[in-house]
Amino acid sequence: MRRLPVLRSLFARRTTEDLPRPSNASGGLRLRGSLQLRHVDAGSCNGCELEITSAFGPHYDAARFGARLVASPRHADGLLVTGVVTRNMAVPLRKTLEAVPRPRVVVACGDCAIDGGVFAGAYGIASGLEAIARPDIQIPGCPPDPTTITDALRGLTGR
Amino acid sequence: MSLLLIGLGLGLAGTAAGALLSPRRRVPAAAVLGSGACVVAFVAAGRALVSGQTSTFRSVELLPLTGVRLSLDPLAALFIVTTAVVGLAALCYGVGYTEGGPRSRTATAMLPAFLTSLLLVPAAASVATFMVAWELMALTSTLLLLVEHRHRAEARDAAQWYGAMTHVGAAAILLGLLLLASRAGGQTFAAIGLRAGAMSPTTRSLAFVLVLVGFASKAGAVPFHVWLPRAHPEAPSPVSALMSAAMVNLGIYGIVRVGDGLLGGGVLWWWLVVVGLGVASALFGALHAAASSDLKRLLAYSTVDNVGLVLIGVGAAGALEVTGHRALAALAMLAALFHLVNHAAFKGCLFLGAGAVQQASGSRDLDRLGGLVHRLPLTALLFGVGALSISALPPFNGFASEWLLLEGLLHGFAAHSAATTTALLAGVAALALTGGLTAAAFVKALGIGFLGQPRTPAAANAREVAPSMLAGMAMLAAPCLLLGIVPGSVVPMLRRAADTGLGDTFARPLRADLGLNLAGFEGAIEPVLLLAAFVGALVVAWASVRLFARRGARRAEAWGCGRELQTARMEYTATSFAEPLQRVFADVLRPDHDLEVTHVAESRYFRQAISYHSRVDDALERTCYRPVIRLVEAWGGFARRAQNGNLHRYLAFGLVALVALLVVLA
Repeated sequence: MRRLPVLRSLFARRTTEDLPRPSNASGGLRLRGSLQLRHVDAGSCNGCELEITSAFGPHYDAARFGARLVASPRHADGLLVTGVVTRNMAVPLRKTLEAVPRPRVVVACGDCAIDGGVFAGAYGIASGLEAIARPDIQIPGCPPDPTTITDALRGLTGR
Repeated sequence: MSLLLIGLGLGLAGTAAGALLSPRRRVPAAAVLGSGACVVAFVAAGRALVSGQTSTFRSVELLPLTGVRLSLDPLAALFIVTTAVVGLAALCYGVGYTEGGPRSRTATAMLPAFLTSLLLVPAAASVATFMVAWELMALTSTLLLLVEHRHRAEARDAAQWYGAMTHVGAAAILLGLLLLASRAGGQTFAAIGLRAGAMSPTTRSLAFVLVLVGFASKAGAVPFHVWLPRAHPEAPSPVSALMSAAMVNLGIYGIVRVGDGLLGGGVLWWWLVVVGLGVASALFGALHAAASSDLKRLLAYSTVDNVGLVLIGVGAAGALEVTGHRALAALAMLAALFHLVNHAAFKGCLFLGAGAVQQASGSRDLDRLGGLVHRLPLTALLFGVGALSISALPPFNGFASEWLLLEGLLHGFAAHSAATTTALLAGVAALALTGGLTAAAFVKALGIGFLGQPRTPAAANAREVAPSMLAGMAMLAAPCLLLGIVPGSVVPMLRRAADTGLGDTFARPLRADLGLNLAGFEGAIEPVLLLAAFVGALVVAWASVRLFARRGARRAEAWGCGRELQTARMEYTATSFAEPLQRVFADVLRPDHDLEVTHVAESRYFRQAISYHSRVDDALERTCYRPVIRLVEAWGGFARRAQNGNLHRYLAFGLVALVALLVVLA
């Protein structure tokens, strides 16, 4: 049985965790049901990226609640921004934001994207995310755990 | 007939004027006389086409020993009308065309001569007259091809290829026709046609294969197409238009005239070979057109593709005629001739458009163009009409004829012979695949060449071309639209030509008078309704955007992964557009890729330069023609060893030969 992962998987428990419906899952914004997001790393330590990967992985599976990461802002309903906005990433972030069709949402993921976090006031920071685009929702945590991310996105999709 | 003679005389007068008058006068004089020739020939042939009458002319004095025989029947008239329209447009265009410097005496004089020979070939009614006209056409077009030889070495290379191919073809035609004439005991087409039925099957088949090789090399059918993608890009654009829209047609004319007319249909396998040539040309041409990034090379390969489609129709007509399905044969022949006429209109327009692009921006490489729709709006519009027509989209003419061709092939399935059905099936498949590939090629030509941002400063500074050039293009764009909207109006004339082509004069039952009927179904494609529906849908779409859109359009930069510096060099190019197709069809196209990476001396982790070359050569040329050329070169090298330029050696040769001769005779 141990040697045969295929057989084992036939009898294993379900991988995906059942997540209770969060209290904020009302679909407050106009984007109800489905949410396509383009992720922009504006200068993150990659902690948030790990957690986002995990949130969209098989265990938490945010995709079953209608959220999806897409490859181009042209296909997206909004941006999922992580990290402080560094000098190098300020222009690309602005351009990506410009490339998203309206109406759009901006999600600030992690403490750095919200207020600079542990890097607040460091020399390489161009400005806060606030100065470029006001986030519609914020996902606090350093890094936020996958449940928090999934719950926040369910708040947008309403599922 | 006398009108046609006047037209030919005007053409020759144009040649004389171009050769003899002073530089300031010769260009307008040659253009006016040449246009006169086109108009008069158009009227003469148009009358023959409408009335269906055949008129003849003979003169013993004009050509010593053999005399001249001309005959103007509806089939010949159709080709003359097509040539006349293209010729008029090309001459009008040529007034403003200055690419390659001011026009030389040769160029001015040869253009009317070339045009005259094009008008003369279909009217020729004896082997001698035909071959004289045919060779005149070959020689004048070779000279016109060489007009820009001082500026471009490629022109010389192209002329060499063209000369070799056209002369091998002419030799084959001459052999075939002489064989027929000797067996018939007379060199007029009438005599050959009368006695062809009594010749042995071997003679007839041999003669047909010989003329097929010759005419296929003129028509540019695979594998005799190698001169087309060289000659058409290098010739001045009015000449490319004439070559591609009028001269290539005459190859088809020859096959129809000799195969169906003189030999009276012949054997089934002839026509299956013709369908095979057609399928190969259609697929090969369309694939290369989709992969080319040189605008005129793309158009040349697309000519190979369209010639293939016409050959499929001609072959199907021949096969159906031989198996006794006369009405279906007439439909297939009609469709083939209709497509040929349409091809002349849209390909002429596209070649003239390509010339305008080249003159305005100095390049015909799509990867160096872009954004021309803002700089050359009228050229872009006319080129767009041509591109839509060739992609067979309603309401343009390409759709009408390809639909009719498809209909002819599909109905041919009623001919219950396995070989014929297989050939027709291959034809239908080729038609379907080339339709898609042609659309891809012209999305590329129009999308990369005319839309987007200019890729070079020359493209950014392009200016709209002269009004006479635009008028020339418009003269060919107008038939694209007219023949597409009311194809029914020309069907009776095409039908007369098709019936004559198939060798008889009685009218066959055919339901293609009004619109395009799909017999067996109770519906008809009515292009006028399609056009109305299309315009209606446009109006509805525009109105609903105006009424229901909440806010105006927002302009944003093209998405380039957010990088800071974004230039026109990062645009999608013609090469990158064609890359997926090139990859899928790599077995046929055999693309060459070279990637060279140079590293800096200190470390292999840093690159100094990267160079990438990608080329799509003609695989057939590489595999079939290069070995022959190498063989000829080796033979030439061998001969040079004897020819060392030393007078003593030549005298020694003479002495040895003399001694040998004396020994042998003694």
